[in-house]
Amino acid sequence: MSDRHPSAKTTQLISRGAALCLLGLAIAYGIGGSVIEYAFASDPLGPRVFPVALAVILGLLTTWYFFSPGTAEGFPTGRLLWRVLGIPVLLVVSVLLFEPAGFAISIFVLTLGTALIFEAPLKKALLGAIGHAALWWFIFSFVLEVYLPTGALFGH
Amino acid sequence: MSFDYLWHGFAVALTWQNLLIGFIGCFIGTMVGALPAIGPINGIALLMPIAYTMGLPAESTMILLAAVYCGAEYGGRISSILLNVPGDAGAVMTAMDGYPMAKQGRAGEALALSGISSFIGGILGTLGLALFAPMLSGLAIGFGPAEYFVLMIFAFATLGSMVGSQPVKTLIGCVLGLMLATVGLDATSGAYRFTFNEPELGDGIEFVVLVIGLFSVSEAMIILEHQGKGVTVIRELGRMTARWADVVKTTGATLRGSLIGFVVGVLPGTGASVSSAVSYTTEKRISDTEGTFGKGDVRGLAAPEAANNATACGAFVPMLTLGVPGSGTTAVMLGALMLYNIQPGPMLLTERPEVVGGLIASLFVGNFILLALNLPLVNIFARVLTVPNWLLVPGILVLSVIGVYSTHASVFSIFLMLGIGFVGWLMRKAGFDMAPIILGFVLGRVMEVNLRNALAISGGELSILFSSTICNVLWVMAAAVAILPFYLSRRSKRRIAAALATAE
Repeated sequence: MSDRHPSAKTTQLISRGAALCLLGLAIAYGIGGSVIEYAFASDPLGPRVFPVALAVILGLLTTWYFFSPGTAEGFPTGRLLWRVLGIPVLLVVSVLLFEPAGFAISIFVLTLGTALIFEAPLKKALLGAIGHAALWWFIFSFVLEVYLPTGALFGH
Repeated sequence: MSFDYLWHGFAVALTWQNLLIGFIGCFIGTMVGALPAIGPINGIALLMPIAYTMGLPAESTMILLAAVYCGAEYGGRISSILLNVPGDAGAVMTAMDGYPMAKQGRAGEALALSGISSFIGGILGTLGLALFAPMLSGLAIGFGPAEYFVLMIFAFATLGSMVGSQPVKTLIGCVLGLMLATVGLDATSGAYRFTFNEPELGDGIEFVVLVIGLFSVSEAMIILEHQGKGVTVIRELGRMTARWADVVKTTGATLRGSLIGFVVGVLPGTGASVSSAVSYTTEKRISDTEGTFGKGDVRGLAAPEAANNATACGAFVPMLTLGVPGSGTTAVMLGALMLYNIQPGPMLLTERPEVVGGLIASLFVGNFILLALNLPLVNIFARVLTVPNWLLVPGILVLSVIGVYSTHASVFSIFLMLGIGFVGWLMRKAGFDMAPIILGFVLGRVMEVNLRNALAISGGELSILFSSTICNVLWVMAAAVAILPFYLSRRSKRRIAAALATAE
């Protein structure tokens, strides 16, 4: 299960890790903002000042956050962590299939995988995935006439 | 003060197409609200790109999204009462007396009574919106770029001091949103900023991609973590109508809750969770002479329900009149307006009366539809609670993928959404709220453009930001809302410490 009430030490570790990541982002963003190339600007500020100011503000706030971390929810552990991470992985696979294999197959894979991650029995997961793929295909392609790729398998 | 815009709005809202759209929105909204896993912001984030892709006009899209928003505020009470798990943040306090009533076999009565309180709160909130929107709009018409920039500072200061218990995280969220808004082509200089030579980032990060990433993908991961907590639905609903005596008994609580809800809703950064908590504690202080609150007192049920519905309407006031969203959900709706190239602000009422009037009129109509849906059909909505997550979450993910693809027809956008969703999940684990990021993103471009325009007018002199009375009043208000909560918190801590020392 998710560690909903992590220890103070874990909370500090998570928060300080997040603060350091944000500080790195502030520095990178500030440097990136200060070297934006432009030919002209019709206002006194130009395109660089606002991003650099934001980077400075983020840097200051992050320093405050580092020394006063507050509470964090904490990450899931063990098998649950792998199941949770399975959702974005499954989405990546499904999106990679989206144009080559088509909407229906891609959505079938996504919904079947997600149902299994949520511990649905295989038969119900299969039926649910077929139902999802057919329902959404019908609603979007025929009722709402939204373009969705049919994939190489179906000749597009 | 002219109400022509409102009559025009009723003409828009009462067309059969918009009535149908409003009905569908109310139905979906109630279901979304009833499901503990998702809230109004998720429902709106998923529906917004679909409405846009369907080619609905701006006013119809706003009617749909407003109906979902209000429907969700009604629906949130269902799981609060039957599961003791709030369907959305605004329904947390509803469970305090609603669930004990359900355990006493009075679930049907609790649902009916809270439906009536929701209706009164919604109607009074909409009345307030119809009254205050033109007034505030008229005041804000004199705003120039400098005033707008300071107004945004005020909005962020309000957020930092009011949203959540960790203001630094709220402010970091706002800054991250502002940073994301700088990605893409800078219209003033023609420079590309933070695009990493990726042509698809030339127009910036699309609002739909950000919203769906933050509120759908990360939500699916959170639902998985929190599932299986062993809650049981109360199925014995009992009598399905409210007792007249209870309606009379709760009149005061409902009216007070509506007033508190509306006022809290108008303030940027506060939401239904704050208003329902304030109204509940106020009502407890006023009415709980026999210690019945928390044990199934109808007044403890009515007050927060009226408040959270009035808040939803109040949150539209700053959004429609100043272009400053009052809550995360209205920030998403503001983004929906921008999808249609409509710039919110004081001129919106004059330039697009059909959008503002149509939205407000649809709230009046929507509340009647919601009352009609929520009294006789509450049994059907209660069944939504039995939909398993393995069936619900794949549907959310499919709608997320289709929503992004249908708006941009690009696989890159879907990958970007996934990346944003994953980072959003990491941030939620670290205790960050997603709404400030959306608020920062929505206000980001407007804020920068107004700052640069103001400085262009003054020839680079920063004194323009302090040159008008409106600017100075807004600076003082921003400083007050930023500093006061810290001062009050310190003072109360000192008092508690002093009291403890005296007791020892």
